[in-house]
Amino acid sequence: MRRFTIERILTEENAESDALTQKITQRLPGVKSNRVKPDDLALIGCQDFMDKKSLRLIHFNGEFLKPCPGTKRYICCGYQILNVGVNCPMDCSYCFLQSYVNQPSLRIFTNIQEQLDIIGEYIDSKPEKIFRIGTGEFTDSLALDYIAGWSDFLLPFFSTRKNAILELKTKTTFISNIIKGDYRDRIVMAWSLNTRKIVEKEELITANLTSRIFAAKKCQEAGFLLAFHFDPLIHYDGWDDEYYDVVRLLEKYINPESIIWISMGSFRYMPQLKWDIKSRFPNTNIFNGEFVTGLDGKMRYFKPIRIEMYSKLSEQLNKWHNDLGIYLCMESDDVWRQSFGWSPENSENLSEYLDNRVRKMAKN
Amino acid sequence: METRQIKANNVRINIPEVNLLPDGPFCMSFDFDLEILKKSISKYGIINPPYLIKNRDNSYTVVTGYKRLLAAKDLGWKGLECNVLPDSFTKCDALLFSLDDNLLHREFNSIEKAMIIDRLDNFLTKEEIIEKYLPLLTIPANKHSLILYLNLKKLEDTVKVSVARDAVSLKVAGLMEHIDRESRLGINNLFNYFKFSINQQLQLFQYLEEISRREGQSIKDIIDSSDIQEIVTNANMNKPQKVKAITAVLKSRRFPSLFEAQMAFKKGLDRLSLPSGVNVTPPPFFEGVDYRLEIDFSNGKELAGTINKLNKLPELSEITNFWKGRGDT
Repeated sequence: MRRFTIERILTEENAESDALTQKITQRLPGVKSNRVKPDDLALIGCQDFMDKKSLRLIHFNGEFLKPCPGTKRYICCGYQILNVGVNCPMDCSYCFLQSYVNQPSLRIFTNIQEQLDIIGEYIDSKPEKIFRIGTGEFTDSLALDYIAGWSDFLLPFFSTRKNAILELKTKTTFISNIIKGDYRDRIVMAWSLNTRKIVEKEELITANLTSRIFAAKKCQEAGFLLAFHFDPLIHYDGWDDEYYDVVRLLEKYINPESIIWISMGSFRYMPQLKWDIKSRFPNTNIFNGEFVTGLDGKMRYFKPIRIEMYSKLSEQLNKWHNDLGIYLCMESDDVWRQSFGWSPENSENLSEYLDNRVRKMAKN
Repeated sequence: METRQIKANNVRINIPEVNLLPDGPFCMSFDFDLEILKKSISKYGIINPPYLIKNRDNSYTVVTGYKRLLAAKDLGWKGLECNVLPDSFTKCDALLFSLDDNLLHREFNSIEKAMIIDRLDNFLTKEEIIEKYLPLLTIPANKHSLILYLNLKKLEDTVKVSVARDAVSLKVAGLMEHIDRESRLGINNLFNYFKFSINQQLQLFQYLEEISRREGQSIKDIIDSSDIQEIVTNANMNKPQKVKAITAVLKSRRFPSLFEAQMAFKKGLDRLSLPSGVNVTPPPFFEGVDYRLEIDFSNGKELAGTINKLNKLPELSEITNFWKGRGDT
């Protein structure tokens, strides 16, 4: 997989003195750099709104560690997001960021290193709590790592914490820097998985399915815990066989013993996202399924369809190995029960279930 | 702001020397009626002479007054007094001059706005158009709007007329770009015949487009299918009834599992024979788990009787399974 092309750097005035800004600029020699004011978006002009060729360096004044924005009436895993940046150089048709981001360009927060001390103090002050933290919610965890160098300082930071793990979730194969490093403990390398058809048609500029699994295999061999996320599951004719093919690939190359968890979530979207997606991907087939309004206002597959997908896929996964830490992302108690025959009943219990996976599998 | 004095020459022009094609570079008129203008010209003549620019081949291109020239031609005039703009007047100047002239005295329909934006696109950057001209045309100043209007030129003239007359909404027109010509014309005919509301249009378009993708047939074929055509040609239904029936048919094709569940639930309730005055409502789309029971009663004795009857219904405990088809057993 090739690295992404950055055509220009936009450095916000108050980010100029941040150490990460200097490093990033040095890592992109020859890339045109402009100094911009934090509220200056005039440069967006008529470029593609997402403007994935520009990298904006920002001194972020918001919160760096935040709980995953779960929605009411569905069970949430209690994951925490470490906000290292927003937007992603890959282009998945279904990506919620298309409606979520209200500002263009790839955005990296250059004061993250300074904030880690505060985050560390916070984590250490709650030794009884397990912090499951990830950077892959508002961006891909590794897609811009060769520029931002996140793994250089996040891995040592989390590897030494007793009550936290860092999950790096990606659709890339950019693992060389991570494998080269010395840190393994409490680091979970995670890949989003989908069928070959969905990867090819809907996950543009990402690594293909086999490459992702090969990258996972290398990480596993290098001593990392693994996680996989079947999210979003897309329903189409022949979906089941094609998802089973993905499971077969996992079976072939991955040792299930060091998988900390596998999540499943069906495609869901806020109604406005449909129009944003259709304007960028008019020929996408992701809306062909039977979507109804969910309890949180998001559109979801009609419940029996979701249940069928979860139960069939989990059955295949369980045939492979019966201790994979399978869980559902943002689903209701009755969907859990009908899909798996059990339910954590609420978000607290699901958190506890996943925390126990951490206690069991992550080295102290 | 700098004032620019235009020194045009007032010249008598022969109408055949003027290019009056509707796609002229400064034309911003579409779907208009010349009759009122012709009556006025017959009565008073042309009050404001058109402005033209002279081409290298000595022919003329209309800058302002396109409809006046057409009306004069229709009335059989051979020529008329026109103002010929100086050679120093660039094509961009002429376009902006025409726009100013039009903005002052009329509103534009959507296709005319699209024509203006398309012509501006020849001379100005997209940023300039978005920031300066979209607001003048009462269009939201963003890229999506610009693209939407620029794409309207690709539509067939018959569809453009529907858009200009609001028989096809702008949003649907924008979405039509991605479907085949026959389907576009099929939708255009359907929407013109039924005069759907904007929301109905969008909903029906989505149903048609998504059924087309799901079933692998063209939208035109779906519109021409017997279940739709039987409604369209049904002499016993009025138009609102047909609109409702078409929407229901398309919805059932678009959401077959949901439709089946709704029918199964209804069938289960029918078989249950609920006492009169009792109504059960399932959760919307069966997504939640909370059902609603309503009982109409006018006194306690009646309520007790209804509850007693409900208690005796053998299948009542299975009511939440009816939609899953289990109530059929």
